[in-house]
Amino acid sequence: MKKYLIAATFVTGLAGLGTMGMALADDDDCRVPMADWQPRDAVQNMAEAQGWTVRRIKTDDGCYEIKGRDAQGREIEVKIDPGTLAIVEMEYDDDDDDDDDRGGRDRNQTPTGTGQPPANGLFVPGSKPGAVVQ
Amino acid sequence: MKSLLYALALSTALTVPAMARPVTLTTNMNSYGGDGAYLALYVTDAQGAYQGSLWLAGGKSKYYTHLSDWYRATQGNPAEINGITGASVGAGRQLKITLDLADSLFDAGYELHIDASVEDMRDSPSEVVVPLTTQGMGQPVPGRRYIRDFTYDM
Repeated sequence: MKKYLIAATFVTGLAGLGTMGMALADDDDCRVPMADWQPRDAVQNMAEAQGWTVRRIKTDDGCYEIKGRDAQGREIEVKIDPGTLAIVEMEYDDDDDDDDDRGGRDRNQTPTGTGQPPANGLFVPGSKPGAVVQ
Repeated sequence: MKSLLYALALSTALTVPAMARPVTLTTNMNSYGGDGAYLALYVTDAQGAYQGSLWLAGGKSKYYTHLSDWYRATQGNPAEINGITGASVGAGRQLKITLDLADSLFDAGYELHIDASVEDMRDSPSEVVVPLTTQGMGQPVPGRRYIRDFTYDM
C-alpha cells in the first residue's frame, strides 16, 4: 500500500510539473529558424505600409518588435512573426510598464474622434467614432 | 462654379441623412469589484454571422482572446478594430460611444453583441445581445455579469 501511495504521489507530482510547464510557456513567443527570418528592411516596409512611424525595430522572444506610432499617432509596440511578418501581438503603449497588468484603464485612453473606422460597411464612410468613459 | 457648389451642398444634405444615423451606445458597468473591463461591441446578422466591429475597449491585444466570441470571429485581426479602440472601462463607470452607423443596419435582423472580460474573473462572451431596431432605441437592456445595462439611442 505504501509503495502504491509513493508511486501515486510521484506520478501526480510529475503531472503537476507538466501542467506548470505548459502554464509557463508564453503564447506570444515566435519560433522561427534564423534561416527563415525576413530582413529588417521587410519589417520596416511592412510597418510603413500600415501607416506606422517606426522608432525602433528589435528582436524579443524570437519575434521582431516594432516601437513607434500608428497612423493616429498613438504609441504602439507590435510583435511581428519574423517569417511571415504577421502581427503576433499589438499593444497601444502607455506609461504602464507592467506587461501583465491590464488595469491602466485611464492611462491608455485613446484620443477620441481622431481615428478612421474600418471599412466594414457598418460605419458611414468618413465618419469619426468617439468614446468617453465617465 | 457657384451653382455647382450649391448643387453639391444640396445633394449632400439630401443624401447623407438618408444613409447615416448618428447613434449613441451607452454601456453602464456594474460595481463588480475588479479591474477595468475589456469590451468588444460588434454586429452579427440574424444567423449570428459576424459583420463587423463597432468598438473595442481595452488597449492590450494579448487579452483580446478573452473576448471569446469576438475573437473566434475575427482571430483578433487588428484591421477589424483599427481606429475604433479605446480604454478599458472600470467597475461602476459608463462608456458612451458616438458613431454614424449605416441606416441599413436597423430593422434588418442585425444584432449588436457585447463580449466582456475582466482580469482574474470569468469571461463573459455575448454578455449583451440586442436586436438593432428603431423600436428598441432608448430601451435599456440588462447585462449578465459585468454590464448593468446597455442602451442605443439617436
